[in-house]
Amino acid sequence: MIADEATFARLMVATQAGDRRAYTVLLTEAQSWLERYFRRRVPAPQLDDLVQEVLLAIHAKRATWDEKRAFLPWLAAIARYRWVDHLRRAYRLNEDELGDHDTPEVGEEEAVLARMSLERLFVHLPAGQCHAIELVKIKGLSVTEAATRTGQTESLVKVNIHRGLKKLSALVEEAD
Amino acid sequence: MTPEPNPLIVQLADDLEPVRPIRMAHGFAALALATALTIVAVALWQGLWNGPVAGEAAAIFFVANGLIALVGLASARTVLRMASPRVGSRNDGSRWLLAALAILPVTALLLAVFEGALGSHDHAADGLHCFFAGTASGAAVAAALVFWLRRGAPVAPAAAGFYTGVAAGALGSFAYGLSCPFDTVGHLGIWHVAPVAVSAVMGRVAIPALIRW
Repeated sequence: MIADEATFARLMVATQAGDRRAYTVLLTEAQSWLERYFRRRVPAPQLDDLVQEVLLAIHAKRATWDEKRAFLPWLAAIARYRWVDHLRRAYRLNEDELGDHDTPEVGEEEAVLARMSLERLFVHLPAGQCHAIELVKIKGLSVTEAATRTGQTESLVKVNIHRGLKKLSALVEEAD
Repeated sequence: MTPEPNPLIVQLADDLEPVRPIRMAHGFAALALATALTIVAVALWQGLWNGPVAGEAAAIFFVANGLIALVGLASARTVLRMASPRVGSRNDGSRWLLAALAILPVTALLLAVFEGALGSHDHAADGLHCFFAGTASGAAVAAALVFWLRRGAPVAPAAAGFYTGVAAGALGSFAYGLSCPFDTVGHLGIWHVAPVAVSAVMGRVAIPALIRW
């Protein structure tokens, strides 16, 4: 069971005041939350690195959370930002580790998560851009393989990735 | 059950120091200070036009400068909020205000088309001076907002750069506009709005690299 909004907010208030025990719990819970958040949108071998990047970002930017605002939208915005950054840097992977970790989870937390999920960003992308990013940046196919799979030319795959990532970057904060 | 913390978490917890959370009020204070300093600098450099208090200013002087100031404030508020990120944060208000501001240059251009050359009655030479001075006058506001964003965690650097440019251009143009005695829609709509557009482009291009984290 991952901490809920109220628990996260309480822990973050204590964290900003310098409470190390609260901070340890907060980061541990955030780690679980992030692993679930990224699970379907990051190849498994890269998941730990990305989660750790976000944990470092939380540490560096912990003063930017305002206790008058909800914690999870703040965390999700940082997670999205790091994820888009990660996609830009992602190198081709040989293995495709996606697909087997998509165990559906239910409940109120899941509904909150869904609202801020990474999937919501893809809704705003044209199908061509969406497929190109999914195949090359997330599933690790080569541009040639993605072109064959989607019926796009290789140039178009590259253009779609470039434009799609640019658009994702612009949507990090706005899309809910 | 809470799992065992990983080594990174242990290390981060060991490094934890208390922090003072970012407060919007501090950002507004920095913005107000930068704007006030700009107005003081303009007053010392050019002197403020006393037309408005003497009852000599046309209504468009108040409408145009009021709208420009409002665009600057709304955009600056957007930037200040961007330092503390969250999902679902939209900037629709600032966009609509920018659209409203566009009415001024559109009106000026329509008047130019229907009434003759823009320069003949709208002081083109002085206009260039207002454009450059208004643009330069945004420097303090731009610096304050970039400083604020660097303290924060902007997750939309391109948008943050754009709105920083808009805010700097608008508040700079407003400050310089207090010294400008030309109160026609042609002059104000072109030369006092142009700094907003140019600063927006400059902000969009130059600022993201300064605030990325």
